[in-house]
Amino acid sequence: MKMAYYPGCVAQGSGKELDMAVRWVARAIGLELVEFPAFTCCGSAFVDEANQTLNIALNARNLAIAEKAGLDLLTVCSTCQGMLTLANRRLEEPAMKARIDGVLSPLGIQYRGSTKVRHLLDVLVKDVGADRLRGLVRRPLSGLKVGAFYGCHLLRPQDELGSESAEEPHAFEDLLSALGASPVFYRGRVMCCGFPIQFVKPETASRIGGRQILDARNHGAEAMATPCPLCHISLDGFQHQAAKTVGQPLDMPVFHLPQLVGLALGATPEELGLDRHLVSVQPALAKVAGGSARG
Amino acid sequence: MSDPTISVPLEIYRFDPKTDSAPRYQRVTLDLPPHTPVLTALLKVRQEQDPGLTLRYSCRSAICGSCAMQINNKSRLACETPVGPEIERHGRIVIEPMRNQPVLRDLVVDQQPFWTQYERIQPHLIPDPAHPMPEGRENPMTPEQVERFKETPRCIACGACYSACPAVEADPTFPGPMALAKLYRFVVDPRDGRTQDRLVSIQTGGLWLCLRCHLCTEACPKDVRPSERIRDLKEMAIHAQGATEHGSKHAVGFLRNIRETGTLNEFKLVRQTYSPGEMLGQVGQGIRMWRKKPEMMHKPKKVAGWEDVEKIYQALEETREDPP
Repeated sequence: MKMAYYPGCVAQGSGKELDMAVRWVARAIGLELVEFPAFTCCGSAFVDEANQTLNIALNARNLAIAEKAGLDLLTVCSTCQGMLTLANRRLEEPAMKARIDGVLSPLGIQYRGSTKVRHLLDVLVKDVGADRLRGLVRRPLSGLKVGAFYGCHLLRPQDELGSESAEEPHAFEDLLSALGASPVFYRGRVMCCGFPIQFVKPETASRIGGRQILDARNHGAEAMATPCPLCHISLDGFQHQAAKTVGQPLDMPVFHLPQLVGLALGATPEELGLDRHLVSVQPALAKVAGGSARG
Repeated sequence: MSDPTISVPLEIYRFDPKTDSAPRYQRVTLDLPPHTPVLTALLKVRQEQDPGLTLRYSCRSAICGSCAMQINNKSRLACETPVGPEIERHGRIVIEPMRNQPVLRDLVVDQQPFWTQYERIQPHLIPDPAHPMPEGRENPMTPEQVERFKETPRCIACGACYSACPAVEADPTFPGPMALAKLYRFVVDPRDGRTQDRLVSIQTGGLWLCLRCHLCTEACPKDVRPSERIRDLKEMAIHAQGATEHGSKHAVGFLRNIRETGTLNEFKLVRQTYSPGEMLGQVGQGIRMWRKKPEMMHKPKKVAGWEDVEKIYQALEETREDPP
């Protein structure tokens, strides 16, 4: 299997550990990642607030690059997934399509609308499948209670994104079960992490992030995992602030989704960049490594 | 012949702040056809088992907007939520009052916070004195003008969006999805004379606290899509006034940031949003991040074909029109 790899800005910058884990997992499941140095940022839903048409045009260019290569696009970020899919939907409106074509055609860029945008979570669950994944597991995450945290733009608006469910998804929990972990269901798993307003009003953002972490913990989660590096920044990077805002220590390890997959499939913590988190993942590692890697 | 029934275990939130020290959940199991609305189930409980169960309802047809509540953690109208799919997914139905508003009794909340926010946006037409309404006849709009309202006139003010909103939950200064969708409705109204003032005052009035999580759009029983209209308001506010707040500075900063190389320069974005003084307040967090993630300071290289990106910006940045 071969896909156009769209890493997104964070995985190429401060969230490099996500990129490391994606590459490791792709090798393990036999997924060839084709790279395109011409991809731009998806706009991260911020450009969409400032200039919607520009946001769609930038993403139409990204989609056209994959289309020209005849490949579907692989995202590893809920927000990239949301923005690129939103562009696909908006380009179904004839007026918008004409407007964007008018800008891209003079540059020799054509987009016919055929690129499918797929998040790694979806590829793991649908294309690789739980059965094959179970067979690939070398270090079962036995008994580790994990709270999945989806990220809004993977789920909503459901009618625009064609996601599995707006408020009651289970693909991530299915994946966790296949890896041997015990998924924890809690209200916050489909809520916002607070990231979008981290720069607008930090204490409100921290209250929102802290609430979801507490909710996961109150339901028994020993770790959280997210398919979105922006949620990861909020839940891991700003957890220190969240703890201050909610007035209690949190100490919640937060994994990027492919890190947890890699861990189960036998990668070392170094290969997955697990030392790059702000909140230590050691307590969670200790739980799974009671079982050392199974050869 | 009557419809086949299923067993419907209900867990109904019961609380009277005057007499109870804490809420409790009343467990009742009914046999009902799967298409039965949750509201009908609740009325059956009240009629047959417990006349004290307190709830708001009126039309039973998703028009009056009285029976919004939390059904298995989702904000929904009880009159149009059938029991069958809930039982299929959860095996039971947990029914709770709307969130983000104080409980008066059982499933009835005090909606004053919701209405106060609504009032704040001046939800009525304020005509431009320079263009008075024509006398003796209606003030017609073109089909294109009507189109701009999108789905907002459908709102029945049920409050489901307000109950679902995590920004309202965390910050009482956020106007909430319904008030902002209403504001949009008046901002695009060609008969309203206060478009500019409305946009200027909402920039500092909480517009930028919207998380664009789209939970309101999923909760809305009338498909008003508040989160998308809030996005339109943000774009219009920047257009009307420029970036004056952290939120709009961040959005405009982001747009300019990726123009330079095509990829985000993470550290520069912080500088584009915050003043030097505000940056100082972030030093502790910055150092914490930088020690684990030094790449946050890296300057990205230009993407291949960057010239095309620049041309797209030139075409759409400099001749930008109002949002479609």
